[in-house]
Amino acid sequence: MLHYLIKKSKFLMLLSQNALERNKQEPSQDDQNTPANLSQSLKTNLDLIKGVIGNNYDVVIREFSFDRQRQVSASLIYLSGMTDPTIINESILKPLMFESRLSSDSAPKLDDIEMIRTTMLSVGEVSKSANIDEIVDSCLSGSTILLVNNCHEALMIMTADWKSRSVDEPKTESVVRGPREGFTENLLTNTTLLRRKIKNSDLTIESIKIGQRTKTSVNIAYIKGLANPLLIEEIKRRLNDIKTDSILESGYIEQFIEDAPFSIFSTVANTEKPDSAAAKILEGRAAILTDGSPFTLTIPMLLIESFQCSDDYYSRPYFVSFIRMIRYLAYAISILAPATYVALTTFHQELIPTALLFSMAAAQEGVPFPALVEAMGMGVVFEILREAGVRLPRPVGQAVSIVGALVIGQSAVTAGLIGAPMVIVVALTAVASFVVPAQTDSGGILRIFFVVLAGFLGGFGIMIGLIGLLIHLASLRSFGTPYLSPLAPLSVSDLKDSFIRAPLWAMITRPRTIGWHDLKRQEFRLKPSPPLEEDTQSK
Amino acid sequence: MKGLIKIIVTPLIIIILTLGTTGCWNRRELPVLGIVMGVGIDKAMDSDKLEITAQIIKTSELKSSSPEEGGAGGGSSSSAGAYWNVKNSGESMFSTIRGFTHRTSRKLYFPHNQIIIFGQSLAKQGIQECLDFLLRDQETRLEVLMLVAEDKSSDILSVKSHLEKIPSVGISELMDSQAANSQTIVIRLNQFVTRLMSPTTASIAPIISVQGKADNTELAVSGTAVFKRDKLIGQMNKEETRGLLWVINEIKSGIIDIESPDQEGRVSLEIINAKSKITSEIIDHKPYIKIDVKEEGNIGDQSCTASLVSPDAVAALEEKKNEAIKDEIESALSKAKKLNADVFGFGDILHKKHPKEWQEIKDDWDKIFPNLEVEILVEAKLRRSGNLGSPAAPPEKE
Repeated sequence: MLHYLIKKSKFLMLLSQNALERNKQEPSQDDQNTPANLSQSLKTNLDLIKGVIGNNYDVVIREFSFDRQRQVSASLIYLSGMTDPTIINESILKPLMFESRLSSDSAPKLDDIEMIRTTMLSVGEVSKSANIDEIVDSCLSGSTILLVNNCHEALMIMTADWKSRSVDEPKTESVVRGPREGFTENLLTNTTLLRRKIKNSDLTIESIKIGQRTKTSVNIAYIKGLANPLLIEEIKRRLNDIKTDSILESGYIEQFIEDAPFSIFSTVANTEKPDSAAAKILEGRAAILTDGSPFTLTIPMLLIESFQCSDDYYSRPYFVSFIRMIRYLAYAISILAPATYVALTTFHQELIPTALLFSMAAAQEGVPFPALVEAMGMGVVFEILREAGVRLPRPVGQAVSIVGALVIGQSAVTAGLIGAPMVIVVALTAVASFVVPAQTDSGGILRIFFVVLAGFLGGFGIMIGLIGLLIHLASLRSFGTPYLSPLAPLSVSDLKDSFIRAPLWAMITRPRTIGWHDLKRQEFRLKPSPPLEEDTQSK
Repeated sequence: MKGLIKIIVTPLIIIILTLGTTGCWNRRELPVLGIVMGVGIDKAMDSDKLEITAQIIKTSELKSSSPEEGGAGGGSSSSAGAYWNVKNSGESMFSTIRGFTHRTSRKLYFPHNQIIIFGQSLAKQGIQECLDFLLRDQETRLEVLMLVAEDKSSDILSVKSHLEKIPSVGISELMDSQAANSQTIVIRLNQFVTRLMSPTTASIAPIISVQGKADNTELAVSGTAVFKRDKLIGQMNKEETRGLLWVINEIKSGIIDIESPDQEGRVSLEIINAKSKITSEIIDHKPYIKIDVKEEGNIGDQSCTASLVSPDAVAALEEKKNEAIKDEIESALSKAKKLNADVFGFGDILHKKHPKEWQEIKDDWDKIFPNLEVEILVEAKLRRSGNLGSPAAPPEKE
């Protein structure tokens, strides 16, 4: 054992030494890979680019010549499928091949490419570069590359357009009242959706590329003057520190930038709805949009955000406040109900009302397993059913629900394998766990954690677990913001949007721990009321 | 490495440390418990030993007689009873109760125990030795109802309840319903012991008896057993019991039957609200007690035809009710004096109010109490006449 540990530590030391050495070598490697620049000759340039991406079947290289005497040869390089052929045909090829004949200029000069850019192309976004890497990257993102003979620069014409899912109602966050649109996999669509919500010049969307191989575009959206600049700086630092080869979904980013990677609680929130992302940005948070993912990350995250829902703010406050409390109750049930049942039936039978004890004892009679095993078993069965429900193809869905509900619920009780009260408790827990979708993951783990504690230590164990949980939650920070705020540290005015939801006109300030940079959200005295009698008379 | 210690070792240490602070706990699944619903304590017939009857619920029977099964099967099992009265005798409470393990496959579980019944002969001999275990053990509850059987407690526990599956539950429900008449004292173990520990106040408990014969038996509570120290010395009947309850402010509801003012029938008055206050005075080393009773009630029933809602009639009824209440209190007082048992707790009131003077008279309390001067002031009010004003009777001819 000891021997193994020594070997392991030696190995680790070697690894870290290697890493150090590699870091030292890195600059020299970069020097060797200095990007090649374009030359004057079209043929050389074409060969250069072909050498990088030429083997791909979707690369289209269109060679043509233009100008009056058709003496200027040029090439278009683009990826079919990622570009819009209409733009290429109508706005690039047509002006160059037909309209250039009308121009009276003779042979193109060295700065001709600039002339083409400014006068010939009727496309919005056109840039110029001589760097071969940059050109290839841009081509891979959907630009069309125009190479002209005798020019050492190429034009990158933005023609990106590909098939993507239309803006749809999000599957994960259903609302009764509120906008139905959700983010899509297309980054541009997503930023557009955000811009449409916040038409303000201060809404800043900054872009960086992450992933050496995937070169995924990642945008940071925030409102300048509202978001804490230090927060933005920290987000950028953490994003730039991600040195990985691929970012396929925003979940990758979440795991690379979160504060407490060992905690079961997520410290980065995500949403699929532009309106809730916009609301969070307007409270002073920053959003991270990732190309290829409809899930937008919002930072920082508070625990109470899990219990908030975008249509809370669209409906009137009274019922919403009631539902908020139901959510907290449901979360408590989802993590504590099986544990409480186990604790009551194995340790604290004296706490059960006598009449209830009768029926519980009668149901438990002849059940072969201890309550702890029952609770764990049923918990696992439920998780299996749930996972099966997520993964299974739609047409076989009914089979699982029949097997789950009938065989496992009904038959297990009739066969005397499980007591009926336990089935009720597990079913209640299962339903309650879906009330707070943001904490379903943590709830599943906590449920088992508490059941085990209750099985060994009873109510005392549950209490220990709760205290431990509270200590852990209080220790969490999300980008410097206490995870439990506004409860700890207590901010009384922010409790207006916690267990209850105060009327909108009463929520004058932004959450103190997040929007402190510009606290005031709206004017005082916005409470609607009919005009005073004196006012109407004077009119 | 440091992170690993923080994540794994620290919680482990915390969990191990907390294990030492759990105190008294025990892991028991429901099916291993013999849930005791009632306890009867008697003196063994032939010896000086205690004989304890424990009423344990048969959880399996509870299940088979659930409405789900229904039909003949359910009926037959409920006639067998979902309980089991098991007896054991021994020298002391604790050894006898532990001794049940020789007879029962499950360990007796007391927190849900509803009633403790003492047999008459044991109560006469003294019950102090039985109470100690009931107070000291952590499983038994102080809120358990206390009763005294007219004869043997085991007989009481074996009478089937016609409404409840478990006889003990039936008895406990029976005691709950006594507030409607306020003619029975409902006393719990802690209240009994508080009275027992007082130097002067006498303990009291309701008496339960078996009525009817052979197959058609039922239980009834009537009257109050009066203890001097821990020994049963006498009984109070229903009227005397209500007299006692008037004084100790335990009247919840009840019916007072009086003659109608025109003496042509009877009127039943319902007690809605009653309050009493006992004040004391010591003048010239002689204690005096004053009892103030305030009562409010309605007309509940009348058998005469005269209208009783006129102010004069109400005043007359109130006067009669005053007397009726006063009579009840006086009968209780004279019975208590006869038994020389301070069931009202006058001694404690004097002790609290006049601590210095009390020191002089406390040793002579047994001599003072039978001759204690007690003034009774009753202020009874009649508030409403129910849904009727005048009675539903043909108008009298002029």
